Amino acid sequence: MSAAGKAGSPPYSHPVHIGESSLGRVSFLGTRLPPEVEAMAKGVRDLGKETFRKLLKVTIGALEGKDCKECVWPIAEAANLSEEQLAVLLSGMYTLLREALRLPTSTFKQEVFKEDLKDLRIPEDFITDFASVVFGNRRSLLEATILKQGNRLPAIENFKWRVDVAISTSSLARALQPSILMQLKLSDGTAHRFEVPVSKFQELRYNVALILKEMNDLEKRSFLKIQD
Amino acid sequence: MAAAAPQPEGGKALLGLLSGLARAAYYGEAGIPEALLREQLYPDTAPREFAALLGKMSGLLKSVASADMDLNQLEAFLTAQTKKPGGITTDQAAVIAKFWKNHRTKIRESLINQSRWDNTLKNMNWRVDLKSQSRHVDQINAPVAIVELELGKNGMESEFLSLEFDETKVSHLLKKLSEIEENITSLTQTT
Repeated sequence: MSAAGKAGSPPYSHPVHIGESSLGRVSFLGTRLPPEVEAMAKGVRDLGKETFRKLLKVTIGALEGKDCKECVWPIAEAANLSEEQLAVLLSGMYTLLREALRLPTSTFKQEVFKEDLKDLRIPEDFITDFASVVFGNRRSLLEATILKQGNRLPAIENFKWRVDVAISTSSLARALQPSILMQLKLSDGTAHRFEVPVSKFQELRYNVALILKEMNDLEKRSFLKIQD
Repeated sequence: MAAAAPQPEGGKALLGLLSGLARAAYYGEAGIPEALLREQLYPDTAPREFAALLGKMSGLLKSVASADMDLNQLEAFLTAQTKKPGGITTDQAAVIAKFWKNHRTKIRESLINQSRWDNTLKNMNWRVDLKSQSRHVDQINAPVAIVELELGKNGMESEFLSLEFDETKVSHLLKKLSEIEENITSLTQTT
């Protein structure tokens, strides 16, 4: 550890490559440490275990998409934290967890995570708490939320249908022609209603079956997976 | 009646006339002006006489189409028309029968379409992607289907609906569609 760092530069910074551990491996946070994580790592050392846990809980809430504006003030008041300190801690913890959750557990190991946090000089107790979020049973829930927040096209939320048979019309005495009325409610809140002639319906069904088959086939071809 | 003369061109002219009528009435295309039809198909027929022929034929075609006659019904109907005073000749009956045989399905379909006012599913396109990475997920590796539905009313601009499905959603949709299929099959079997 270089002691010749400029005033204000964090004590964990290495003279050559920031974010590179003693083993020459690049931290999961990247070669350039996010500034909010850097600042958080510094500030978190002065926190009591109780306060840290409360803030961690709020951060997890934020990752799950909850609005936590109201619940942070009592914590800050109790621990005598300024608004700025609070912002630094929360955004740093948030980025740290978000980056860690981004990586698949198949390649990203707990020991590596802990080692990287140790390099940031985060207290041992807190490292254990961070690790339990990233590698504990909460992970699947957090992953699901993160996936949901991703960029995507609307999906069908509700699908209703009705089969009609036209008996007689102004232009056809005996129509006796079935057709399907479909109503789709989408995840973007819109609803669409349309009629599907039987011939089109067969086309639709055939194609949906084909899509499913293609997706199944794709899953089998695991060589398409990106692997480190 | 002048058009009743058994000239070899007569059948062709009448077939042309029926096609012209069907274009406007059933296929939603611009009709051919009466004068042009006469000029092209019946140049030797007087306008008044031609108008009478046109009226008679469009009336017959309307009856045949609206009842969606099968071949037996058509034969009975046309035979009756040949026996009626001021009806049609057997040659004309043969031409109408020939025309109907070729156009029945298309005309029926078009008539059904005429009584469809809602948006209709016109077309669909799809694509299966493999989602690999995103800003907050390093490895997704899940197949995803992008489906585009073209919805529109006749003669109006279509609306395109783009949807995303994961595998569970596709199989769920397929299950629903199979339910519909069963219903249609049971309906068409009992009727």
